[in-house]
Amino acid sequence: MKVFKQITAVFIFSAVIALIVNAVNPNGVPLIMEKNIYKQDTTSKSNIGDFINDPYDTTTKPSQFFGGKKNKQGFIEPENISSVLAKQLYDRKALFIDARTKAEYDTLHIKDAVNISYMDFYPKSAAERADVMKKFGKSGIIVVYCNGGTCEVSIDLAYEIAKLGFNNVSIYKGGITEWKTLGHPVETNMK
Amino acid sequence: MENSGSPGRNQYEMKNLLYNKYFQFALRFIIGATFIYASVAKLFHPAEFAKAILRYDMLPVFLVNIQAVIMPWLEFFIGLLLILGIFKKGTSLLASISLIVFLIALTSASVRGLDISCGCFSLEETSSKGDILFRIIQDIFMLLGTVIIYLFSGKPKTDGTNPPAEQV
Repeated sequence: MKVFKQITAVFIFSAVIALIVNAVNPNGVPLIMEKNIYKQDTTSKSNIGDFINDPYDTTTKPSQFFGGKKNKQGFIEPENISSVLAKQLYDRKALFIDARTKAEYDTLHIKDAVNISYMDFYPKSAAERADVMKKFGKSGIIVVYCNGGTCEVSIDLAYEIAKLGFNNVSIYKGGITEWKTLGHPVETNMK
Repeated sequence: MENSGSPGRNQYEMKNLLYNKYFQFALRFIIGATFIYASVAKLFHPAEFAKAILRYDMLPVFLVNIQAVIMPWLEFFIGLLLILGIFKKGTSLLASISLIVFLIALTSASVRGLDISCGCFSLEETSSKGDILFRIIQDIFMLLGTVIIYLFSGKPKTDGTNPPAEQV
C-alpha cells in the first residue's frame, strides 16, 4: 500500500510538472493530437529518394511526379500534399509559390519561395499568365501555399497554373502557419 | 577444513551483497543516471519525441502527445529519486514498470521488422535495427537492476534464521 502511494505521488508530481512546462514551453504541443500530422503520404509518391528537382530547367521532357491523370478539361489536377511531403520536396528544391499578396509575402514566407499573388495573376490574360510562368519547367515540381487553414488562393492559383500545362503542381494546405509551427525555414523581407 | 564454498554460505554472502548499501547505491546511481540522461533530450522537445512514439505505431494517435509530454518528466523524476534514494520501493517499481513497457514496445517493433530508431536517448531519425536490439538487451539488464533495488533495498528481513555458521 505504501508503495502504491509512492508510485501515485511520483506519477502525479511528474505529470503536473510536465503539464506546466509544456504550457510555458514555446515548443510545447497540444495535449491531444487530432490526427497524425507526421504520417507519410500514402496517396502520393512520397518515397522520392535522391531525386533533385530543378523548376527552372525548361529543357527536360515532361514527366509526372504525382501520377495524376488529365481531367476532362485537359490538365492534370493539382495534388494535396502533407507537411511531410512538402518538406521532402522542399529539401529537393521544389519550387514553392506563395499565392498571397506581396505585403503578406514580405511579412513572412517559406524560405526561397517566389511570390505569385493570385489577386494579381487572376486578372491577367492567358498569354500574360504563360509569360509569368515561362521561366519554370513544365515538369518541375511546384508547391503552392497560402496562409493555411481556410485560405483558398493556393488552390485557385494551383489550378490556374496546372491549366497552363504544368504537370506536377501540388497544394500545401497547411500553408505558412503549419510550416512555421514545424520549425521549417522561413524568411521575411521586412527590415 | 574450510567450508566457505557450501551452498548455504554462498547464498548468504550473495544476499549480503544485494543488501549492501554501497552496492544498492551504485545500482541506483547507474540506473537513475541512465533515466535522467534518457529524459534530457526529450524534456523540452515533446513534438520530436511524439514523432519517435508515432514511429512505433502502437498508441492511438490522440494519446501520443500526452505521452510525449509526461513520459520524459516521469523518467527524469524516477532517475532523480533513485539517485537520491527517496521512495526507493515506489520509484524502483515505477522504473521496472516503465522498463517493461519499453521492452514490450522495442520487442514489438523488432518483431514487426520496423526499421526505426529507438528514440530512447536521442531523437535523431537514424534508423538501424541493431540499435533496437542493443536497447532491448540494455533494457533487460536495467530491469534486473530495478528488481534488485525493489527487493533488497532497506534492511534485510530477519526471518529468524541465522547465517550458516562458519565451520572452522
